[in-house]
Amino acid sequence: MKPGEIGMRERFRSLTAGPALALCIERFRKMTFGIPLALCVLGVLFVLDIMLGSVNIPLDSLLAIPTGGEVKETWATIFWYWRLPKAITAVFAGAALALSGLLMQTFFRNPLADPFILGISSGASVGVALVMMSAGFCGIGAVFAGLGFLGDVSIAFASVLGSLAVLLLILLISAKIQSSTTILVLGIMVSYISGAIVTILLQFADQSSMHSYSFWTFGSFSGVTWSQLPVLAFFLTAGFGVSFFLTKSLNALLLGEQYAVSMGMDYKKIKNAIIVNTAVMAGVVTAFCGPIGFLGVAVPHFCRSLFVTADHRILVPACVIVGGIIALATDIISHLPGTDLVLPLNAITALFGAPVVIWVIVRGTRFGRGVTT
Amino acid sequence: MSRAAILTCKNLTIGYQNQKTITREISKGLNLQLNRGELVCLVGPNGSGKSTLIRTLTGIQPPLSGEVLLLDKKIADHRSEEKAKTMSVVLTTPVQAGYMTAFDIVALGRFPHTNWVGRLTEDDTEIILSAIASVGAGDLTYRFIHEMSDGERQKVMIARALAQEPVLMVLDEPTAFLDIPHKIETMRILRSVARSTSKAILLSTHDLNLAIRSADRLWIIDQHGALITGIPEDLVLSGIFGSAFGIHGASFDPVRGEFTIPIEKKGTFALRARKSVERIWTWYALERIGYLPADGERGDITVTIRKVDGKPVWEIRTDTVARECSSLAELIETISANDREG
Repeated sequence: MKPGEIGMRERFRSLTAGPALALCIERFRKMTFGIPLALCVLGVLFVLDIMLGSVNIPLDSLLAIPTGGEVKETWATIFWYWRLPKAITAVFAGAALALSGLLMQTFFRNPLADPFILGISSGASVGVALVMMSAGFCGIGAVFAGLGFLGDVSIAFASVLGSLAVLLLILLISAKIQSSTTILVLGIMVSYISGAIVTILLQFADQSSMHSYSFWTFGSFSGVTWSQLPVLAFFLTAGFGVSFFLTKSLNALLLGEQYAVSMGMDYKKIKNAIIVNTAVMAGVVTAFCGPIGFLGVAVPHFCRSLFVTADHRILVPACVIVGGIIALATDIISHLPGTDLVLPLNAITALFGAPVVIWVIVRGTRFGRGVTT
Repeated sequence: MSRAAILTCKNLTIGYQNQKTITREISKGLNLQLNRGELVCLVGPNGSGKSTLIRTLTGIQPPLSGEVLLLDKKIADHRSEEKAKTMSVVLTTPVQAGYMTAFDIVALGRFPHTNWVGRLTEDDTEIILSAIASVGAGDLTYRFIHEMSDGERQKVMIARALAQEPVLMVLDEPTAFLDIPHKIETMRILRSVARSTSKAILLSTHDLNLAIRSADRLWIIDQHGALITGIPEDLVLSGIFGSAFGIHGASFDPVRGEFTIPIEKKGTFALRARKSVERIWTWYALERIGYLPADGERGDITVTIRKVDGKPVWEIRTDTVARECSSLAELIETISANDREG
């Protein structure tokens, strides 16, 4: 710093104290008011998600269960083996999907990018379709059905393998290609190819494997057991951690690749970190919960307008919390409390998500990000 | 080498290399130097290689041969963060980002100086605010970038480049989307930044007139990639502009320092008036319709400007017509009517 510049800075100190203070207060409000409020909503919905369902558990009994109080045995069973893992899964999955959607939207500078834009979910669906169809085709389907838990595991395994295959392909290509737009188009093309393969596989499938495949595509937070939960939690927590480390670079990327590089960002390293992080988060969620749509594209937009900022230091934690909130809310609605019916989760997320996307596009023409290229 | 040099090129050849075999040289043997406190404008006709030179000098594109030295060190050898602290850029591509205030954008300029989460210290905040103030965008500080006009946005982007605290700023056509008052305002800001903070500023532009009036030095690339440098006035007197930009349908006027539309001569005029603004604009108007000043006292037409009650009156005389006009429009109409008859 040159002596002359210090003088100039001091001259402006008095002029700018007012607005700077206003800015500090605004940031303070967002971090100390908005985020805790969202956390409270998350807590309430978490409890509601456990309480409500085909069998409603009253709040006082619910509180008695973990503390070992006297409650109906069926309620305790429902709580431990059904509702609690489901609610935890929903929070993790919703947060991961929202976060990977945010990473993709910023990286591609495209408001319609979602966690699956790289073709992750289509890779997973090919894996899952292959396992289900081959099982049905070779007559091992009965074995799978009998094994139950192992059947779930093999589906999750196939899904991870499928996502990984696509991820490796994208990484290989993106090592040669700098442009994020090209990677985007490649991801979409991979989705088309995967879709075609699944369609062909379905032609050879029997009724039951077709049914179980389409059931998988509905998406659900209910399939995760206590033994699987640590795996899910480990990978997703790691993903959240990496995202926090990426905030500074994500902010720089808002100005585009060239500006980010000119400010000293290591583009290659950050690009790989973003792609791998998104693929792992979206891949793990897809493996355990199926391809859940719309959450990933809608929640980041929701957070941006809720917190009126594009700053990732606020958006990353906001997406984790709001993602969890929306996932719990859609899960509660899909279970139609008080009835025995369960609607497909994807139907609910689409019913909620599509209007959000429409709203983003329509209003984007006047303010906000709009549809940028 | 002078101690004030920030950027130096030695025997630089710029161009593109495709598939390792095809090489397209755009310009070669370049020896250039950028000094502290200096505003340099890079001008040249479309397709002459201005962008290629800028890209090579900023290290985005490798040179075909020769070297670019940034503070006595090869540009490719700088670590990215170290380079970012030395040089900042303003690109032509407009920034499209929602929900970002001018403050947020300028704060990004602190990227190479902040810690891993990008936390702004009190010092950072002051640097950001003074960068915004020095481009005269203080009232925009907390407004969203997507609500700003092109001129306001350009100021913010220049402030961002300033907040990076480099010794060299490179701007690719910073005046491209602006109207003339904003072009002038932008150049004024850049010139005062170069003077007051002793940074070197290199910018490419199409606005020749503006470059001639504000640059400390000009770099002119002609259509064949030859680069001529010098102070603007020397270059105008040497007549280099006419040949460097040599296009049919435009000619360089060395008096006005700008390109003018060539005149299709219809006749000559004699103008009798005192030195005044009316005299200058009557001259321009007559030139525009194809009349050039006569050598002697008598031309094909004679125009006399008189003041009647403080208002100008144009008296026109030709071989066939003599009348008084109250506006230039009337004068031109009279001359045109006379041309049609004659």
